[in-house]
Amino acid sequence: MSDELILFHNVSKFYGDVLGVNKVDLRIPSGITSLVGPNGSGKTTLMNLMSGLVHPGSGSITVRGISPFAPEKLMRILGYATQYDAAPRGVTGFGFVVAGLLLYGYRQAEAERRAALAIETVSLTHAAQRKIAAYSKGMRQRIRLAQAIAHEPAVLVLDEPLNGLDPLVRAETIALFRNYAAQGRHVILSSHVLQEVDVFSDQVILIANGMIVAEGEIRNVRDEIHEHPSQFLLHCQHPARVASMLFDQADVTEVKIDPGGRGVLVMTRQREAFAAAVQRIALNGEEIDGVMPMDENVDALYEYLIGGGK
Amino acid sequence: MNQIWIIAKLELRRAFFSKRALWVYLLALFPAVIFVGHGISVKMQRDEFAGKPTVSAALLDRMAVGTADADVLAAAGKPLQDRSWDQRGRNIKRRTLMYFDGSRRVWFEFENGALRNTRRRELSSIDEDRKVYAGMFQYFYLRLAVFFGSLGIFINLFRGEMIDKSLHFWFLSPVRREVLLLGKYCAGLIASAVIFGGGAVLSFGALLAYQTSADLQAYWQADALYHGTWYVISAMLGCVGYGSVFLAAGLLLRNPIIPALVMLLWESINGFLPELLQKLSVLHYLQSICPVPPPMDPNVPPLLRLVLAPTEPTSAGVAILGVLGLTALVLYVASRAVRRLEINYGTE
Ligand SMILES: Nc1ncnc2c1ncn2[C@@H]1O[C@H](COP(=O)(O)OP(=O)(O)OP(=O)(O)O)[C@@H](O)[C@H]1O
Ligand SMILES: [Mg+2]
Repeated sequence: MSDELILFHNVSKFYGDVLGVNKVDLRIPSGITSLVGPNGSGKTTLMNLMSGLVHPGSGSITVRGISPFAPEKLMRILGYATQYDAAPRGVTGFGFVVAGLLLYGYRQAEAERRAALAIETVSLTHAAQRKIAAYSKGMRQRIRLAQAIAHEPAVLVLDEPLNGLDPLVRAETIALFRNYAAQGRHVILSSHVLQEVDVFSDQVILIANGMIVAEGEIRNVRDEIHEHPSQFLLHCQHPARVASMLFDQADVTEVKIDPGGRGVLVMTRQREAFAAAVQRIALNGEEIDGVMPMDENVDALYEYLIGGGK
Repeated sequence: MNQIWIIAKLELRRAFFSKRALWVYLLALFPAVIFVGHGISVKMQRDEFAGKPTVSAALLDRMAVGTADADVLAAAGKPLQDRSWDQRGRNIKRRTLMYFDGSRRVWFEFENGALRNTRRRELSSIDEDRKVYAGMFQYFYLRLAVFFGSLGIFINLFRGEMIDKSLHFWFLSPVRREVLLLGKYCAGLIASAVIFGGGAVLSFGALLAYQTSADLQAYWQADALYHGTWYVISAMLGCVGYGSVFLAAGLLLRNPIIPALVMLLWESINGFLPELLQKLSVLHYLQSICPVPPPMDPNVPPLLRLVLAPTEPTSAGVAILGVLGLTALVLYVASRAVRRLEINYGTE
């Protein structure tokens, strides 16, 4: 069973003292899985971990039962198009894909046949004989995709694969992902924007600050975000009175007197109703010095993920 | 095994033609250029003296200290060069006469008309040139050219790809890291062995090219082939040994200057070290298989002399095994390092 999963067990990765990802537990089934999170959230780190380019500081990883420490086995089933934009110097697109295939032990003719096929799949045949150094950003993106799929891996890992693609190619690329997923393969991709990937993903993993925030089928993740309660701190003179008034008036989940004596801590799922209630209480003559969102970061993150990343 | 070769083939072009490695060729060709230049100047001198009158060597050798300049002139005839001058203050008249006996130039130096000193110099002497070559080979070629050339080629095998941000392509291929290491090492080794083996062949060829045919024939029938072969072998073994060290250094350290300096220092102080530690030096083994001991100018200051003096040589077989053993050890360390190596382009 675990042979069909990508498993992360309590994986942490630090770069010196910079956090990459923290205590990640994941069970990724086959199909299209999107990693979504803002810059620096740890998407690339997760992908590098599962392909063995970096090693976990603690925890363990298996990809369809194979350890990333055994590239000679793992790479036979895994293709990874990284976000690194560099290409070996002086190589044509075709030569680049062929060289990769030679390392798989294919003979020259077979490698060339497969390379041509992969390049055709990403619609780059017209530029195959040109140097990669002279490719545009989108073309480089596609040649890396071609290299990743050339040996038809069961696990396809793609770091921001839709970045810089024009709409036509983008649609073709997504069709390719679907096709792969339909054959029972893993397609793992990353994006900054949930909207960009939610229509075609089977699962999404939301990640922020190196931690998995939500994970699962896209519909469930959306619901969870909407229902996620927000926490506020209400500065006021008479916390006990305000607390009881809030309970009567607004749809709050939880009200607590702040142990630090600053006021009242409130959890609510309905921010608008809560805001209106606070206003009414203030108008009634209760002295309220301020309202502070307590989990601003997480909140902003959700706004960001749902709101299209602006 | 097959994979090692595939990797080496893919890497070879980069190892030979990388822009970073251009100066490696200059290092390798430098001795050949020097000896070709020297050969040309010897040829020109020979042509210059070809038409000059000669005096029999026996007659010139007979001139004893104290002989008067007039007697020398009477016996040997008109000299090729006749210079006289007064040494101010000490009231000494000096005179130098030069003769040529067909292969040597002979200078008679007189003070106040009496012969004080005789200097002889061959137009070219294969014995002397062989010594110069031995010195060049050990002091420059092995210590500096092969050393820094290997540095340039091998340290870039991994570090260069880190800088170019292309190392992950290798790491994403279905190849054990150890195999990748060996493949890259082979590519570097082939390139450096061809470049520095070739440099040794060319310079040794240049050394032979301008010798007189009699000298050449004698040397050829005696040791030439043997010497040339050992020079080439020791240059190539230098690539084997230094190559592994710098390959490992490129994996373990960020800054290539540091391992280079440490290694250079280590090789230099090797002569002071206890015998056991000497066995950990590449140069020690290389010097052991150099066929001709290098000359040592008596004017070299004693400290430098200690640095330059070759260590007590071991036999050729032991030396070759020594280099290979050291290499295997270093490659083992490198293979441990390459397994742990992570793609980390950001902080380079
Ligand atoms: N080589 C590195 N050295 C030091 N810190 C690193 C390194 N790589 C990543 N990090 C840090 O790890 C965290 C996660 O980075 P990561 O590249 O995984 O983010 P990401 O989600 O891929 O971001 P982006 O959307 O910009 O690609 C960031 O804080 C980053 O600064
Ligand atoms: Mg990234």
